[in-house]
Amino acid sequence: MEFIGFLIAIAIANQALKGYKLSKEKTLLYLNVSFVLIGAGLLVDGLASLIVLLAGARRGFLYPFAVGYSINFLAQLIAYGLLVYAYIHQARALSGPALMAATPLLFFERNAVTELILIFLLVYIATQTGINYSINKSTNSMLVFGAFVSLSIAHVFFLIFTVAPIFFPFAHIAQLFGFLLLLAMLLRVNQPT
Amino acid sequence: MIPVKQAEPTKATAKYRSQFRIYVDIMSVIQRENNQAKPTRILYGANLSHDRLVRYLEELKTLGVIQETGTDDKIYGLTQKGIEFMNNFRRVESFASAFGFKI
Repeated sequence: MEFIGFLIAIAIANQALKGYKLSKEKTLLYLNVSFVLIGAGLLVDGLASLIVLLAGARRGFLYPFAVGYSINFLAQLIAYGLLVYAYIHQARALSGPALMAATPLLFFERNAVTELILIFLLVYIATQTGINYSINKSTNSMLVFGAFVSLSIAHVFFLIFTVAPIFFPFAHIAQLFGFLLLLAMLLRVNQPT
Repeated sequence: MIPVKQAEPTKATAKYRSQFRIYVDIMSVIQRENNQAKPTRILYGANLSHDRLVRYLEELKTLGVIQETGTDDKIYGLTQKGIEFMNNFRRVESFASAFGFKI
């Protein structure tokens, strides 16, 4: 599921980059960087999970899980933070140092604090996209709104998963559904005119 | 791709159109006029002064996205490159708009 999410995130990033090259609009560059980071995080997390599942799960070799999750968390934190920034300051210049992420000194397992941070950022983005949908009522806006709502729900499930493991598959399904909605939007945008 | 300069507002309250946006506005007016737009229509449609309109039309002609099609009166139309640019722009605009971003 992470790999499908990775491919869709990269497709979105590519479309945003095309838009940036055409218009030089910085918000599209932020969108591009955000989705590259989201895609990279998903890829690393997916690969880490794969390594654990294939190589070491039976021997209790779970360290890659923590590394994968930590990288995925940081990537998502920066990505969603950047999107929030883009919504707040739509056309202003961005100060680079503010976005530089500290190198993680410790790797951590999925936990309630990190999930709460991501939920906070995602709910903000979902609200913004919801407002956008309420204004222009287009199907594409609805798909983007639905995607961020779904990603928010996924992280709520990831949060609940920290106490109730049964929610883990639901979280992944909600995450995948969110990316599929973004894919649907992308396909609609690129329909031949 | 059309090379553009980004216009920066000088005051917090001022919101200037970028050169790119002005190009798009001019080309949108031409498209709206069935690819046969007189300068007056473009001037009003794109909300430009005469001097700036003349300058931007020359720039767009140099870029090869519009052409003069009239013989007696000046009439402007989009070239194939201009039509392709507008199609790409509509896609990008639709994509950005889905996220709530204006370009």
